Amino acid sequence: MAYKHFEAIEKHAPLLGVCIAIMVSLGGLAEILPLFIQAHQVKPPANVKPYDPLRLAGRDVYVQNGCYLCHSQMIRSLRFETQRYGHFSVAEESVYDRPFQWGSKRTGPDLARVGGKYSDKWQLMHLINPRSVVPQSNMPNYPWLAKNAIDGADIQARMRVLRKLGDPYTDADIAAAPEAVKGKTEMDALIAYLQGLGIANEPRQLADKPSVDGSVQ
Amino acid sequence: MSTGLSIWVMCLVVFNMGITFFLYLWGPHAKIPQSPDGTTGHIWAGGAIREGLHRLPRWWLISSGTFYVLAFGYLVLYPGFGNHKGTLGWTAHGQLAAEESANDAKLFPLLDRFRLYTPEQLSKDPAALQLGKVWFEDNCAACHQYSGKGNMALGAPNLTDRDWLYGGTGKDITTSIHDGRNGVMPAWASLGEDTVKNLAQYVLGLSGQPHDAQMAAAAEPIFKSTCAACHGPDGKGGQAVGAPNLTDQIWLHGGTLVDITKTIHDGRQGHMPNWDKRLTDDQIHVLAAYVYHLSHHADAAATD
Repeated sequence: MAYKHFEAIEKHAPLLGVCIAIMVSLGGLAEILPLFIQAHQVKPPANVKPYDPLRLAGRDVYVQNGCYLCHSQMIRSLRFETQRYGHFSVAEESVYDRPFQWGSKRTGPDLARVGGKYSDKWQLMHLINPRSVVPQSNMPNYPWLAKNAIDGADIQARMRVLRKLGDPYTDADIAAAPEAVKGKTEMDALIAYLQGLGIANEPRQLADKPSVDGSVQ
Repeated sequence: MSTGLSIWVMCLVVFNMGITFFLYLWGPHAKIPQSPDGTTGHIWAGGAIREGLHRLPRWWLISSGTFYVLAFGYLVLYPGFGNHKGTLGWTAHGQLAAEESANDAKLFPLLDRFRLYTPEQLSKDPAALQLGKVWFEDNCAACHQYSGKGNMALGAPNLTDRDWLYGGTGKDITTSIHDGRNGVMPAWASLGEDTVKNLAQYVLGLSGQPHDAQMAAAAEPIFKSTCAACHGPDGKGGQAVGAPNLTDQIWLHGGTLVDITKTIHDGRQGHMPNWDKRLTDDQIHVLAAYVYHLSHHADAAATD
């Protein structure tokens, strides 16, 4: 290879651009492409089910309102995260998330296992005005969610699309959807979604157990 | 990773490392044509910018060479070259397990010691309180506030007074955290608007607040027959069902006439989640000690 080849690259911006693109993409081709190819091998564990209609609606409310811009749903395998949030997240848990909500922007706490941590009323007050329960919070208010109704036919359409993509919804599941979301608001749906996050997955178990009554052993 | 993908990754690594390593070896010896003015003859901006000709500096060559050696060493020691696991056997989960066990080695002897004491005894132990404070702020403060003073709008009780809905012994507190609590005050709108208003006056009277004695007197039989089932005939509450004492000045959902009327008319629901699935029994034990400490040691309540 002679110097004139490099001279050609250096003097022609489009050629230089193509060569840069090839070198920059090597990392992605090595790290991301194999995961795409192997994605179909990720099977849902027995305890991970497709979203019921109300939680499915809530998941879409979560995405619509950009909750993922501040909240991740991926507990990293780092001690300070597993101690605070529970067992680290694994790919199998997100099989029915389209798109998945792992995220990497952590302005607010991780929500991967927030289900059941607070009461429904806490979630309601927190979404209407976060400062009413957490004075230090800088999360925006989402009061309009309580005014927007959920459309049952729309949820059915979404379930049919998800079934085409491989989610195991039955005809009976889809037929029952309008009844399940009847009279529910986006607020109800989002709270149902949040309260279900991670609850099918066991948090870290420790071997030792003292008596639960607080008595001396 | 399948063998095919492993080979794919290996090829990419070899290509990337190979092409840059070739340039590294070739660069210092490349024959670059030189113009009489000492430049390469490359010009930009109509000659205002011309490319000078300089050999790669020695420090750059040495540091780049060092990085190549380190990169090869990394691919031998750590995962990265296809399916090669690395001779150190490092994994992300293995590192997590090692860090957790290192932490457990410090934590477990403490927890072993804590288990020898009741929450009441533990509430004076500085190490237990330090741990309890961290866990309280992570898990409990969202409802009970950092200070433990609770949130009346939510109906989360103040933990720093000595008034307990479900009992204030270490054992009671442990049970509340472990199993959670569900407080239900039914809605009594069905009694009629006037009765609700009279009852509110009666409840005001129970706590010694200014009230309409006539309306309160009218409500007394209804209180004794209906409300007393949970709150007791004298309104002092019942910890078996978590019915608040109405005769003190401590209010879960507010003690104004408006608040009390709303409570009677619409009912109230309180939900303390169960923590047995989320926290270990050791953590609950320490938290019970911390909560006990909040109400039993005068200077305990932290500021917000």
